[in-house]
Amino acid sequence: MDWSTLIAGLLTLAILTFLYRDNPLYKIAESLLIGVSIGYTLVIVWSSTLVDLLFDPLFSQGKMALLIPFILGLLMFSRFHRRTASLSRIPIAVMIGSGAGISIPVMVEARILKQMSATVAPLFNSSGIPDISSLVIITGVICTLGYFYFSREQRGLLGGISRIGTYFLMIFFGTTFGYTVMSRMSTFIGRMEFLLTDFLGLTR
Amino acid sequence: MKLEQRHWVFLGLFILITLVMLIKVRPDISVSNQTRKMYAYIDSLPSGSILLISFDHEASSLPEIRPLAQAVLSHAFEKGHRLIGMALFAEGTAIGYRMMQDVAAQYGRNPGTDFVYLGFKPQFIAAILAMGESFEQTFPEDYLGNPYRSHELLTTVSNYDDIAAMISIADGSLTTHWIEYAGSRYNLTVLGAVTAAMVTTYDPYLASGQMTCMVGGLRGAAEYESLLGIEGGGSRGMLAQTASHLYIILLVVIGNVIYFRSRRGSK
Repeated sequence: MDWSTLIAGLLTLAILTFLYRDNPLYKIAESLLIGVSIGYTLVIVWSSTLVDLLFDPLFSQGKMALLIPFILGLLMFSRFHRRTASLSRIPIAVMIGSGAGISIPVMVEARILKQMSATVAPLFNSSGIPDISSLVIITGVICTLGYFYFSREQRGLLGGISRIGTYFLMIFFGTTFGYTVMSRMSTFIGRMEFLLTDFLGLTR
Repeated sequence: MKLEQRHWVFLGLFILITLVMLIKVRPDISVSNQTRKMYAYIDSLPSGSILLISFDHEASSLPEIRPLAQAVLSHAFEKGHRLIGMALFAEGTAIGYRMMQDVAAQYGRNPGTDFVYLGFKPQFIAAILAMGESFEQTFPEDYLGNPYRSHELLTTVSNYDDIAAMISIADGSLTTHWIEYAGSRYNLTVLGAVTAAMVTTYDPYLASGQMTCMVGGLRGAAEYESLLGIEGGGSRGMLAQTASHLYIILLVVIGNVIYFRSRRGSK
């Protein structure tokens, strides 16, 4: 067994001890995980963002246009002093403005228009037979929207619609929860496979 | 050492999974339509097509992501497709590089001509949009620092127009950005290989056709492996997955019986 497998195995066992109760072994493994993750991310971001995209092109290749994002970036730190704090609004305004400008048209297209057109698909197919999927989708959307309509008291027809809406919501939450349990189990099974195969050598 | 009720539940699950994993039985796996569709799509592309693979996940989801990624990469390399790898999560960078190297070596594929790994790019929206204009300007160098033009594979790739499809291997919502920015704006075909927890997030995009097809979770990996005729992490874990689900269902039933009995008793 190599050192990396030994360390990974011991740390996996240390994390699993949390299932009994919180303890120093778990704390060590947890702190190591967070520390290594942040350290790794910092190094990657430093080299691939600040060095590759800013420092190298600006100071080595003399791309002076990059002075603008460089200064905007520095202005972010003006928040640390009360007298200069207002300057930080400039880069924040640029970020929010450009972000909104890029995102709004895309969001309207991808999340509203395309989703709406998929929702209002023909309810009958070419041979005149009702399309069950389309009927379920349109019923679900209308009833769920009815559930979130709070401008009128939910009684009578609206009450009935919103009740059906809650069933659709419950089905969605149940499905999502089921998939999440499956996902977490897969993670656990993956670690167990590592422990039994690589670490303990019980299965080959 | 005092054991409480929840400890017995954990202990039961631990013993069950250990026993099941020691038994080398592989259950029959029925393949879902979605997995079939994904397989058929990659299979239908002409050999030598260029696919963009983005490793949009963290290290914590590796037990679920690895079998998925290995199955999809195996299929792509087996079909003779050429792959460009990258990552939008810093943590996925080295994992993606290693996985691509390993699977490429299994199929005798060469770096530079059959596959290239470009590495990590921060600010995912900016990166996705920039690649729509120019891959070279977004990644002037590959993961190892070699110039973009030094790879034979990349000499014919300018932007998404030269890519047959992209596959986002994700444990979060980054695939959404591929769909919304690269798919909607540049008409790039987006496929997904995602963790089970994210399947319901992407179902509406499948229904609307914004995402072409998707394979999800350990189950999806097992299905894909069965289509490929290989044994990987997916099929190895399926019996344990089934047993753990039956165990949870049993606990839910027992919990409900106890609850209703105690309620009737209190009346």
